[in-house]
Amino acid sequence: MKFDPSIARAASPVAAMAPVIPGQPVRQDVSVASAITIDRLTKRFPVPGSGEEFVVLHDISLAVDDGKFVSIVGPSGCGKSTLLNVIAGIESYDGGSVTIHPKAGRAGAEPRIGYVFQSPRLLNWLTVEHNIRFVLEAQNVPRQRWQELVAKNLEMVGLAGQERNYPLNLSGGMQQRVAIARALAIEPDILLMDEPFSHLDAITARKMRFDLMEILQRAKPTILFVTHDLSEAVFLSDNIYMMSTKPARIFKRVAIDVPRPRKPEDATILDLEKTLVREFFSVVEAKD
Amino acid sequence: MASRLKSIGLRTGSIIVLLLLWAAAAELMNDPQVLPGPLAIARTIVADFKTPGPEGESAYFDVGITLARIFITFSASMVAGIGIGLAMGLNRLCERSLLALIPLMLTMPTILMVFLAIMWFGYSEAGGLVAVMAVVTPFVTVNMYEGTKAMDKSLTEMAVTFKAPRSLLLRKVYLPQLMPYIFSAFRYAFGETWKIVALAETFGLKFGIGYMFFFWFEQFDMTQVLAWIIMFVVLMLILEHGVFARLESRTFAWRASVAR
Repeated sequence: MKFDPSIARAASPVAAMAPVIPGQPVRQDVSVASAITIDRLTKRFPVPGSGEEFVVLHDISLAVDDGKFVSIVGPSGCGKSTLLNVIAGIESYDGGSVTIHPKAGRAGAEPRIGYVFQSPRLLNWLTVEHNIRFVLEAQNVPRQRWQELVAKNLEMVGLAGQERNYPLNLSGGMQQRVAIARALAIEPDILLMDEPFSHLDAITARKMRFDLMEILQRAKPTILFVTHDLSEAVFLSDNIYMMSTKPARIFKRVAIDVPRPRKPEDATILDLEKTLVREFFSVVEAKD
Repeated sequence: MASRLKSIGLRTGSIIVLLLLWAAAAELMNDPQVLPGPLAIARTIVADFKTPGPEGESAYFDVGITLARIFITFSASMVAGIGIGLAMGLNRLCERSLLALIPLMLTMPTILMVFLAIMWFGYSEAGGLVAVMAVVTPFVTVNMYEGTKAMDKSLTEMAVTFKAPRSLLLRKVYLPQLMPYIFSAFRYAFGETWKIVALAETFGLKFGIGYMFFFWFEQFDMTQVLAWIIMFVVLMLILEHGVFARLESRTFAWRASVAR
């Protein structure tokens, strides 16, 4: 697919928080604030040459509460990545709405979206520090905060002292940590993660999941996490949305009420995983 | 370090051997009208710099004029080529409208372009500029255009996701990926430019190394002809290896710092 940044920028579909009405105080939602709400989202791609349209996302509704970890689990090709791209504002959509609510204190501001991709997507010609500065500059974060944000977030992902190193000197796992630090550094209203551990070997991926858990305890970001790995989702999430293909729709929402810190081999987690795997495949495989 | 010294030694060694062979051949032939020895040439070069030549100026003047011509026409072609190439790579309309013209310009033989420019602009500086630009700019353009096509789209997508404005995207994402293409264009463009400037000076422009070469060619003075050719070659070698190579290694310092 051809990617044209100018088009993506012009048609950025993500709306900021509800408009401020003059003369009235801005209403602050004091109940559990939702960081992102998606309502009946639909997206279609034209099928080349046939005049027909292929429904990528069908009637998707979901909400991620502030500070929560929410996963979307689905088979490959079900439109998970497309959903994240729509939320990030780099792809348009055809129906429904996507609303991102800036954190308290930033009401009315442009929402800040952090993104961790499958591969690190670092700028190899810049040092680790300058890779993070790149997004701080992009998001107009005041310059005097840069040093503090770089140091804090590199320390958080366990890479303190690597500021002046170049990405290609780091292992795949460490590069992905830099990508996580980069996304956290902008203090995002929502952090989107697109199968961020799928390119790593099993042992590194396992370690990264533990570390991500620890980061969650400290930074409390709001995360929307996409994966095809149910056990990963169960271990990490507060809520899981299960998605199927043909049509791409959400068929179940599950709450994982297991206290943290968790262990992947914990009996409750394994039991839950077993039930969900059975249910997931009964739906997904029935479609084929 | 030892291998570096060795390579420097080999290089100077081969130049010394060449000079010795040349001196021996000149000695054997014993006819300075056909092949003067290297010492005679060196003395002539020194004299050309010290004393005014047939036009009343010393070699400093001609070397300066040639350098200025090369510098101006080269910079203009590079700037134009980089600009057009970028525009083609980043803008669909520019791409479609210019793509057909490029092969047309690239197939034009250099020497014909020089004569054409002289016919249009007479023996003037503008003629030289047009000749260089007509030959060099299309090449730089194509190189830049290909560079933009080879850029990593996933990085552009990353930058756009983080809302990087255009100028930041250009500086930190596009340009670093285009640097290898800019440098390869640089080298080619420089080589082409000095050849065309020498040609234009030989056939039309007043003053400059090419002009002096042609002056002595008409006098059939082999010593002076060789002296001016060698001046030219040495000058260009210094520029290529002394200036460009250093610039290039500085630009790609990040690659060297990556452990192998």
